[in-house]
Amino acid sequence: MLREISTERLIELMRRRVKIIDLRSVEAYNGWKLQNEKRGGHIPGAKSLPLKWTNYMDWIEIVRHKEILPHDEIIIYGYQPDESHKVALLFGKAGYENIWIYNNYINEWSTNDYLPVDKLPRYRHLVSANWVNALLSGKNPDEYDNDKYIVVHAHYRNRDAYLSGHIPGAIDMDTMELESPETWNRRSPGELKKALEQHGITGDTTVVLYGKHMNPDNDDEFPGSAAGHIGAIRCAFIMMYAGVKDVRVLNGGFQSWEDAGFEISIEDVSKRMVADFGVNIPANPELAVDTHEAKEMILSKDADLVCVRSYPEYIGEVSGYNYISAKGRIPGAVFADCGSDAYHMENYRNLDHTTREYHEIEEIWRKSGITPDKHLAFYCGTGWRGSEAWFNAWLMGWPRVSVYDGGWFEWSNDPHNPYETGIPDFSNNERVKRVGL
Amino acid sequence: MDINDIQDQIIDEFASLEDRFEKYELLIKHGMQMPAMDKKYKTDRYAVKGCQSRLWIASEVIDGRMIFHADSDSEIVRGMAAVVLKVVNNQSPDQVTKADLYFIYEIGLRNHLSPVRANGLASIVKRIYELAHYSVTQDQERNFS
Repeated sequence: MLREISTERLIELMRRRVKIIDLRSVEAYNGWKLQNEKRGGHIPGAKSLPLKWTNYMDWIEIVRHKEILPHDEIIIYGYQPDESHKVALLFGKAGYENIWIYNNYINEWSTNDYLPVDKLPRYRHLVSANWVNALLSGKNPDEYDNDKYIVVHAHYRNRDAYLSGHIPGAIDMDTMELESPETWNRRSPGELKKALEQHGITGDTTVVLYGKHMNPDNDDEFPGSAAGHIGAIRCAFIMMYAGVKDVRVLNGGFQSWEDAGFEISIEDVSKRMVADFGVNIPANPELAVDTHEAKEMILSKDADLVCVRSYPEYIGEVSGYNYISAKGRIPGAVFADCGSDAYHMENYRNLDHTTREYHEIEEIWRKSGITPDKHLAFYCGTGWRGSEAWFNAWLMGWPRVSVYDGGWFEWSNDPHNPYETGIPDFSNNERVKRVGL
Repeated sequence: MDINDIQDQIIDEFASLEDRFEKYELLIKHGMQMPAMDKKYKTDRYAVKGCQSRLWIASEVIDGRMIFHADSDSEIVRGMAAVVLKVVNNQSPDQVTKADLYFIYEIGLRNHLSPVRANGLASIVKRIYELAHYSVTQDQERNFS
């Protein structure tokens, strides 16, 4: 039989090692007030396990992955009691016995200012498909107070990804418009200004970015063409560097739009050029770090370079890219495992490509000494994965976070730069130990 | 049995189950029943890229029939590989290249897996076809030489 608990009892239980599970969407967990609750966010310590994921055959695997185990005491809460009830039954079926349901989140927890809530500090920049749909429908969604917006489907030399189905009204943008195909770094201020103006973007335009994850295969000629959502976040970084004041990323990319069942368009939407970007580029130069500064950061006690590459790249087994021959890592950089290879970010994403629960990322980073008190520059091979990790840190409100734009490509192109290969000696340097899943 | 008979058998097996979690358990069971893969295949050469978990698939042709071997460090990926291999094992390379693996849709593997796992399944199927195509090509080259 399922047991309900009161707010007082929940507070008591929180002193024990109970596992609190938040069934609401990732957006509600992050801070969006989807049911007009008084305060957005979640109960401190709660794990995010959206009801949507119970549609997946492998749901229980996600549960175990979050270290929610059969012997744990579990408290489930969400917006609707029937949803909590449904999930509690699933847990019961999976062999979990100690389950409570808390049904007073909206009417007691969120209304009582004395009870704590946690939220992702910059949650408003990570939007849901519902939010984008409301924007497109002219409904002035929550946390939007602008009169001009543009939805951008980002891709790398893959207009077919856009033309085969995109969010209605979205224009397409090739990542090469913003990064140079020679260095893969951000383009010059003049080039960025021209590209942004050609796409109808000014510093005051709200830009909503997303991409399409199309199962990248490292053996393909252009694997990045299938890793569109990492590319979209790369574009978000460059736009913020340039000076676009309100950049939003559709959480989960096109997958979330499809999952929500909204209309998909195949129209080739024409771009409406604007006369002037209106802001001197770069408005936020501190967001990007180049090699000379990266070298200073390695030597500084107050800063860290964060290597967002895969383990095989980190130990020098592979370069990660078919156009980079050098294998190895930058000595002194702290490793923050991206996932399987140069075109995947599994360690930073949920299984539906939404961003991973930010507390989990923060905890993994902290174990490796990646903390918000330092100036951090995230990098990878050419900037995509580094940008996605950076975006996570920025959403968390970390004050001094940048992308080391050159990354391994630029570093390894200079034969004078040192590099390391092999498995690091953890005993001598705790800071480089492997983190991740 | 031909490929479609085996597919239909698997569809019946999964259809008898109540919900998708029971299907998940059955998938895991298939994975546990799959013969262990020889260590010699667990190298980069046989690794399937684009799958979140580590996965290896190798094949050989014995008496004109394809024998596939697979393993993964993930239970569910191993299970997915096991059901696909059950369908394509002991078939000729030509039959495998032409196979329409409709059972994947019928048993809900395509629609009820999380997107990342669904991508893993796509990688498995892609590799199976690649290996079969390779065997067909090799066979044709032998016939011409």
